Amino acid sequence: MSIRIGMLSFAHMHAHSYATCLGKIADVEIAGIWDDNAERGMSMAGTFNTRYFEDMEDLLDGKLDGVVICSENANHRRLTERAAPRTRHILCEKPLASTYADAQAMIDACAAQDTKLQTAFPVRFSPPVQRLKTLLDENALGRIYSVKATNHGRMPGGWFIDKSLSGGGAVIDHTVHVIDLVRWFWDTEVTEVYAEVGFGLLHPDLGIDDAGLLSFALATGAYGTLDTSWSRPNSYPTWGDVKIEVLGEGGIIRVDAFKQNLAVYSDRVGKGQWLNWGSNMDMGLIQDFVDMIALDREPFITGHDGLKALEVALAAYQSAATGSPVALPLGDREGAR
Amino acid sequence: MRRVGIVGAGLTGTLHAGHWARLPVELVGFFTRTPKRAQVAAERYGGRAFPSLPALLETVDIVDVCTPTPTHRDIVLAAASTDADIICEKPMARNLRDAEAMVRGCREAGVRLFMAHVVRFFPEYSRAKSILDSGQLGRPGVVRTVRGGNYPAPDTMNWYIDFEQGGGVILDMVIHDIDYVRWCFGEVTRVFARGLTFSDAQDADHVLVTLRFENGTLGHLEGSWAFPPGNFRTRLEIAGDQGLLEVDNLNTGPMSVTLKQEASARAAGVPVPESPMAPRDDPYYLELAHCLHCLETGQDFLVSPEDGVEALRIAVAAIRSLRTGQPVAPADITNADI
Repeated sequence: MSIRIGMLSFAHMHAHSYATCLGKIADVEIAGIWDDNAERGMSMAGTFNTRYFEDMEDLLDGKLDGVVICSENANHRRLTERAAPRTRHILCEKPLASTYADAQAMIDACAAQDTKLQTAFPVRFSPPVQRLKTLLDENALGRIYSVKATNHGRMPGGWFIDKSLSGGGAVIDHTVHVIDLVRWFWDTEVTEVYAEVGFGLLHPDLGIDDAGLLSFALATGAYGTLDTSWSRPNSYPTWGDVKIEVLGEGGIIRVDAFKQNLAVYSDRVGKGQWLNWGSNMDMGLIQDFVDMIALDREPFITGHDGLKALEVALAAYQSAATGSPVALPLGDREGAR
Repeated sequence: MRRVGIVGAGLTGTLHAGHWARLPVELVGFFTRTPKRAQVAAERYGGRAFPSLPALLETVDIVDVCTPTPTHRDIVLAAASTDADIICEKPMARNLRDAEAMVRGCREAGVRLFMAHVVRFFPEYSRAKSILDSGQLGRPGVVRTVRGGNYPAPDTMNWYIDFEQGGGVILDMVIHDIDYVRWCFGEVTRVFARGLTFSDAQDADHVLVTLRFENGTLGHLEGSWAFPPGNFRTRLEIAGDQGLLEVDNLNTGPMSVTLKQEASARAAGVPVPESPMAPRDDPYYLELAHCLHCLETGQDFLVSPEDGVEALRIAVAAIRSLRTGQPVAPADITNADI
């Protein structure tokens, strides 16, 4: 029996990569695609050799073992609430939602149906990042002083810069990956965040934040910073980066997760490109989701992980608005931000 | 499930064993000249230690030959006579006469021979080939490669630092890139080399090889056992009339670990680079998985026995050039050249 996966929306470009990965796993079938953009849905159904469903219910009727949600952030809740009673497993693109209340509602809706909810944080599956985790687990650095990170990107445009669909710009888009890693590395939480956020700083008249510097404290006593800026111009040779530098009493470990590149300069393309030959971390994420279904085990990355990472991004916006550090957890009081 | 036996349990034999363990085959065990080494490997990787080569050969469907270069011919011919399919570590043989005998022996016995030129399976090298083939670089003009590290520790590596057995840095290191550039650019018409192989340099070997390909492309291959310790380097650069491609392991390592205290005082404070990959992307795993797939489906191997011979022919041409100080055409290489 093959594992049947339904895909809800290709609004987020990661859906394309996830579908490609699903296609590489034996005994997995993409049962169909629903998308509120029919043209996009039909085109993707053609690309991945599956059916387009105009009515989401018809797809959900199809005895799906799992559902992958890659809609706009603000629609994650609605789709999760529709799918939770109809499948046992959901993989939802990050950030888990655009508000705290929505994320909590998604967790509750899945819990009520005994449906497992996994947040898509693929960077946990990057081999260099996994190697860093192993070294930290082996206590290679002793006491940890600080973690300095960047998750830069290009300005993505589209719904990412429409706050009603995204919940925010660069800060909500790029806080959650690295904060999830930090929580996972040391099994800890962020206790306080201070943020400087730039609106239209790199892309004039953008109308949403495109630059962010978060300074945070962890329950372990370590401190850190994260640059979330959409600061890579179109002429930059790649989309962006995930860089992490951990300083401890024993030394320093530097990770540049997307450095396994061929540098290619082609007059036919018109600019330099870094073409990555490292392992595809999305493959690790999707294989893990499929394994969870096949083995009926708990998710490796939970809805709660998605909520806690989102909470730090929301606190960063709050800090930028007030000019003061913000203590965490925020809890429900910030749900209606 | 196919039964795999490994001859030799040195660096490559044990490396292969670890990957065979992850593939759908039965690893039946090892034969080594020193019985103890086969026992140690069998305890670690599974299977058993065989008392003789014939005992191993009569138990396997695939024999993986990971022994010192001069022994390849006799082991491969013995395996062919028992109808086992064969994987042979590079370089194929110590001389062309042996290599051609291996090709002939396998052909006559009707067994398949896979030459383990693993660089074709390194993700950055296979990706570079597909970018070249995509036309992004235009027509190729100049290719440069580097492969080298420090001089091998004599206690573990005595056979391959002995030129008579190992063939020096050209047969150990440069042949990797010879096979790769021949895969990318085709046949080579001229080889010129300078280096330390026949010099009075102590505990060092190093060569700079210049190539001309039939299609006009120029090639420059550096092989080294003369770099300072801790500086193993591989580099590839392909320049075409419309583009350029570069990859260098010294600046594509995605992580480095620098510790204040290391086991060796000299190493403390020195960044140690690492380039982790997912197990499914390991080039040795990909190489063996490819070989197994081709044996199961009857498809052609990515590397043919003739590719092994031709890489060796170019390597021997480089050695002759080192000796003579003259450019050498690989086509002029005879069985007398070593």
